[in-house]
Amino acid sequence: MSGHSEDPVAEESKRFFTFFNLSMILVAITGIEVVIIYVQTFESMSIIGVLFATSIIKFFGVVWWFMHLRWDKSLNTILFLMGLVIALGTYFAVIYMSDVHPVVEKFEVSKLEESWKSDTAYKEGDFVFQDNTYFQAQKDHQSSKQFENKNWKKVNTVPHLISYRITGGADMIEINSKNPGNPFFLLSHPDGSEEIDESTIALLTENATSADFRLKVRSEHFWTEAQ
Amino acid sequence: MSDASAHALEHHEPVTSTGIPNKKVLMWAFLGSDCMFFGTLISTHLIYRKISATVGGNFLDIRDVFDIELTSFSTFILLASSLFMALGVSAIHKGNLKSMRWMLFGTIIFGAIFLACQVYEFTHFIHAPGNELTLSTYRGEPHVFGSTFYVLTGTHGTHVAIGVFWLIGWLAYSFTGKMSVAHALDIEICGLYWHFVDIVWIIIFPVIYLMEYAL
Repeated sequence: MSGHSEDPVAEESKRFFTFFNLSMILVAITGIEVVIIYVQTFESMSIIGVLFATSIIKFFGVVWWFMHLRWDKSLNTILFLMGLVIALGTYFAVIYMSDVHPVVEKFEVSKLEESWKSDTAYKEGDFVFQDNTYFQAQKDHQSSKQFENKNWKKVNTVPHLISYRITGGADMIEINSKNPGNPFFLLSHPDGSEEIDESTIALLTENATSADFRLKVRSEHFWTEAQ
Repeated sequence: MSDASAHALEHHEPVTSTGIPNKKVLMWAFLGSDCMFFGTLISTHLIYRKISATVGGNFLDIRDVFDIELTSFSTFILLASSLFMALGVSAIHKGNLKSMRWMLFGTIIFGAIFLACQVYEFTHFIHAPGNELTLSTYRGEPHVFGSTFYVLTGTHGTHVAIGVFWLIGWLAYSFTGKMSVAHALDIEICGLYWHFVDIVWIIIFPVIYLMEYAL
């Protein structure tokens, strides 16, 4: 039986004010939650932290007073907490099990500085550096003794090789230039294999290094960010 | 307060080895197990929300579907119903049958309003023009969000509906003339269930709804 006062009726009457006050507090806290969401002036993590804290306060307010645990024997509290602890344990265990982050093993950006060579097989799209200018092969060909303009197209940008190796699986890779004056954007959807070792050519307006780029990798579970 | 009602509180509960009526221990054990049940459903929703964050190549922004004003209103309604329930339990402990009836009636009405809001919400979500959220799709694209969301909130709604029918049963019984302060424990157990439904919503509202606006 709940309550151990010598005058249980008076005790129950006193609880009216407890219940009413608690109810008003719960309504006020819920109002604060909604206002925080509407105002949106805080950072996401701050908002989530506040929502987490207010939920716990409301949860234990209801359990402790409305559900009479405040006045009941501790066995009831133990029974309830057992379920609660197992529920929380299950949640964190499942989160832990699915916690497989993709890892960026390598992310390199380097300018292509290969000079033109005679008697060399070039494929369409290859870049060479000749007389302080970049050229791109217009077709597959074998170079002769002299540089021949007919096989090459002058490029006014600076070709860079962007190479990356990612382990742990990824289903989306996004590479962004941090410098608006030197734009580059690449979005790719790998097949989800455990190890990805790829490279791409970026035609940039000026020289750049890996520090000028942001690489985002999303696996089935998480986003990982490097530089 | 009459002597009769003053004595009413020292009632009618069989002595047990735990010192707590068995019915009450059973209800707390059930609520503990229901914690695990809802814990699983909430975990499932949050994990799938994280690992299936895109739909049709774009990030899933469910705020286009949610109606936070309506959900906030139904949250306030459910919180208010808990106050009625607590006062109803208090009234029967004091032997005040008339007051208990009004409090149970208030709880039933507020519970029914909550359910009506949920039915309206689900209907609105499923038929939202351009933003249809069904059990297996969002905007016509296959997605798991609807499954975990409807199963979680629908299970909670089912709990509320069971609570409403349970309360209607006690309210009807109170008019048969057979109800007395001896039934205080039964009403208290019903109240425990109702408050549990409330605390589950206290978790669902910020975690499932409000969190979407913080991300």
